[in-house]
Amino acid sequence: MSQRPERGNGVRRTAGHRAGYLVIRTAGELLITAGVVLLLFVFYTLYVTNWTSAQLQRESEERLERAWDEQDGMDAPADAGTDSTDAGTDSAFARIRIPAFGPDYRYTVQSGVDADHLEIGPGHYPQSAMPGEPGNFGVAGHRIGRGAPFTDLDELGSCDALVVETATNFFVYRVLPFDEEIDGWEAIRQRRPECANVSTLRDTGDGPGEPYGDTVGRRIVTPDRSDAVAPVPYREVDVLPRLEQAALITLTTCHPQYSDRERLIVHGVLTQQVPKSQVQDDYGQLLEQLGEV
Amino acid sequence: MYAWLWRHLPGPRPVRALIALVLIVGVIALLMLVVFPWAEPLLPFNNVSV
Repeated sequence: MSQRPERGNGVRRTAGHRAGYLVIRTAGELLITAGVVLLLFVFYTLYVTNWTSAQLQRESEERLERAWDEQDGMDAPADAGTDSTDAGTDSAFARIRIPAFGPDYRYTVQSGVDADHLEIGPGHYPQSAMPGEPGNFGVAGHRIGRGAPFTDLDELGSCDALVVETATNFFVYRVLPFDEEIDGWEAIRQRRPECANVSTLRDTGDGPGEPYGDTVGRRIVTPDRSDAVAPVPYREVDVLPRLEQAALITLTTCHPQYSDRERLIVHGVLTQQVPKSQVQDDYGQLLEQLGEV
Repeated sequence: MYAWLWRHLPGPRPVRALIALVLIVGVIALLMLVVFPWAEPLLPFNNVSV
C-alpha cells in the first residue's frame, strides 16, 4: 500500500475541492474493501469450512472405528460408548459409502441434522428409521462447503448403490427408478443386472391410492416438505403399518447448488443386507460382490 | 481512509509496512474466525434439511 499523492502538483486547491476529493476517494476505498470482504467470504464458504470439516470428519472416523473395534472385542467394557477423547458434538453411529463416487468415498453419519452435526458430516434425521429397518432412513448433507459430502448427489442414476455400514452389517440400498423410467421399468430392469432387486414400489401405476406413488429416485421439492423423510415419503405417517413399509433411504441436500431455495431428494430402497463377517469386514470384497469394481 | 491510516502509523517506512501487514492479517482472521461463522447460517445458501 503506497501513499497516494494528496495534493496536485503546483495546483492550489480550495478547501471545497479537497473535501469533495476526500469524500469520493473514501467512498471508493470503502467499496473496494466491501468487494474484497465478499471475495473473502466466498473463499471462506468454499474452502475454509472444508478444512475445518475435514478435520472433524477425520476425528469422527477414528472415534467410530475405535468404538466398533471395542464392540468386537470380547472384553468390551460396559461403557464402550465413552472414550478418553472429547467427542464434542460427534455422535456418529454409522458410515455411508457411495460406490459411484469412488471406492474411497465414505463419511460417518451423525445422529441429528443441526448445523453442528452437519459440519462433521452427513446427519441422520432423528425421527426417521435406522439403517435396514422398515421405514425411511433419512440423511441430510451439505452440497457446498463443510466437506460437501453430497456435492455430486445430482449425478446419481437409478440403481446406483448407497451403502450404509453399521457395526455389524453393510446395508445396500439402490436408487429407485426415476419418474420417466417408471412406465418402462420392467424392460429396463431386465436389461440392467444391478436393477434386478429394485422395484418401482407400485402395484398398479401412479394412482393417488398408491402409498409410494410419489416416491421416485430423484425429486426436487420445496424446503417445507419434511414429509420427504416420512416413513412412506410424502404420505401421512400412519398410511401403512410399520411392517408393510418398504425399507428406504432418503438423502437430502440443497438445490440448486449454491442456493437453498429448494431441496434435492434422492430415494433408494434396500436390496441387500450383507453381514460384515461374510466379507471379512472388507468393503473392497463387498464392492466385488456387488460388481462395482 | 487508507492514506490517513498510513500517515498515522508510527515509525519509518519498513516498520509501517510491517504494522500494516499485521493489521491486514488481523482483520482477515477476525472475518474468518468470528464474522463469517456468525453470518453464514443467516444467509440463504446452505440449508440442506427438510
